[in-house]
Amino acid sequence: MNCTKSLNKVIRLKLISAGSILGFFLIWWLITDLLRETPNPLFPSPILVFQSFWEKLFNPRPDGQVLGVHILNSLMVVGLGYLTGIAVGIPFGILMGWFKKFDKMIKPLFDIVRTIPPIAWIPIFILWLGIGLVAKSAIVFLTVFIASVLNSYTGITNVNQVHIWVAQTFGASNWKTLWKVGIPTAAPMICTGLKIAFNTAWTSLVGAELLGATRGLGYMIQMARMYSRTDLVIVGMLTIGVIGLILSAGLDILEQALTRGKY
Amino acid sequence: MQKKAWTRDRSESILLGGGTILVFLLLWQLIVMLSGADFATPAEVFIYIFQHIVEPIGPYSIIGHVGWSLSRVAVGYLLAAVSGIVIGLAMAQWDVTNAIISPIFNILRPIPPIGWAPLAILWFGVDEAAKYFIIFIGAFVPFTMNTYVGANRVDPKLVDAALMLGTNPGQLFRKITFPAIVPQIFAGAQVALTNAWMTVLGAEMLRSTEGAGWVILKGMEMANIAQIISGMLVIGLTGFAIATIMRELEKKLIRWNARGR
Repeated sequence: MNCTKSLNKVIRLKLISAGSILGFFLIWWLITDLLRETPNPLFPSPILVFQSFWEKLFNPRPDGQVLGVHILNSLMVVGLGYLTGIAVGIPFGILMGWFKKFDKMIKPLFDIVRTIPPIAWIPIFILWLGIGLVAKSAIVFLTVFIASVLNSYTGITNVNQVHIWVAQTFGASNWKTLWKVGIPTAAPMICTGLKIAFNTAWTSLVGAELLGATRGLGYMIQMARMYSRTDLVIVGMLTIGVIGLILSAGLDILEQALTRGKY
Repeated sequence: MQKKAWTRDRSESILLGGGTILVFLLLWQLIVMLSGADFATPAEVFIYIFQHIVEPIGPYSIIGHVGWSLSRVAVGYLLAAVSGIVIGLAMAQWDVTNAIISPIFNILRPIPPIGWAPLAILWFGVDEAAKYFIIFIGAFVPFTMNTYVGANRVDPKLVDAALMLGTNPGQLFRKITFPAIVPQIFAGAQVALTNAWMTVLGAEMLRSTEGAGWVILKGMEMANIAQIISGMLVIGLTGFAIATIMRELEKKLIRWNARGR
């Protein structure tokens, strides 16, 4: 009795949620299209946005590339920056957490660099490396590097001292202790870091593409703004959101697969 | 004995950390001087910062630019705090509100705040309103999420116990719910502040005539490396300062919480 009641409630709430999304689009449509004599180009209707999305799949105007090319380009930049960032950042953070001398040497400098938000690095990277793939990947790299150093560092410094003593009592070398005790303990934290790093990477990517690029999703919305194509701006924003969501869901699955049974 | 060991450890930290920074600056200075590259030395950057505490870069001095950025953050942030906390509480209190708001929220949330900038500029032009809007978006999400999560995490046992002992709803809120939620809101407030600071820079770099973000973007356009690096350092310092103030505020205001990071 109680069970069916709560089930009913869940279904009812799901229905309300569905209704909410429907209502959202309906109101959007009403105020931008249906209740207006002439549509205002600053507030495109959802139907127009969908049409623009469809058209942008095949039509390279006004910025010279179809949507697919922009997506691919953004993915390439973020992929390159992200993979190199974690490949360098995680070992760096682990070494920093494990070797106290190294930690004391590097941490203050690292802390100074860390306070500068990734977006503030964009001008200097553009000046150094131009507006190509390398500059944008470098910005993403830096963002990811900082995030993954922080998480692997925290993960390693949280290792239970008793576990280290046990390993030492059994005669493990320092490196072996790190390999068998330190890294497995830090693994879940490092995996969380992978996801945090991705979210910051995605933000930096959009920032970098807005400020200096010749293709990519950020460039697309920036161009759409210059041509006052609000519909295309919204298409670009939603694409950025959806792709970010898919990639971060993928990382969730990866995290679960990697750290299974280790908690 | 223990105290002595502690001070030795500490002085070693200062020595090693300070040493690395010194070596870094020295190498930077030497490489630029020896290679003759078109790049600012740390000495030049240092002088540049001190010079422009009073001398203007464009319309304002460094302090004036930072002041502009901070005032923008303040407006967007406060708006986000008020609406985020109210909406977060409403979502936690009534299932129906949650069912209505969370799907829309979940569609909009994955879009990075800076991605809203082109739309904001189209809608509001070069007005301050465009910047407030973007900062608002950046700070609103962490405020709402943390309030919602915090309000949901209130220990039901505590609530039941209080109810059994005959508290009225007002007391329940004052004594149980409120103290449980506030630390969580502060955690969100920190994230929101970092986001807001980053977002204002992006907004200023895209379109503005003053502010810290403008300083580094102008530096890029004029290929003035000293200006860019000075701007970056000042931005980092300001971000660090406001985050520290926030943390101290948190410690002062909510002493009952031992989070004290």
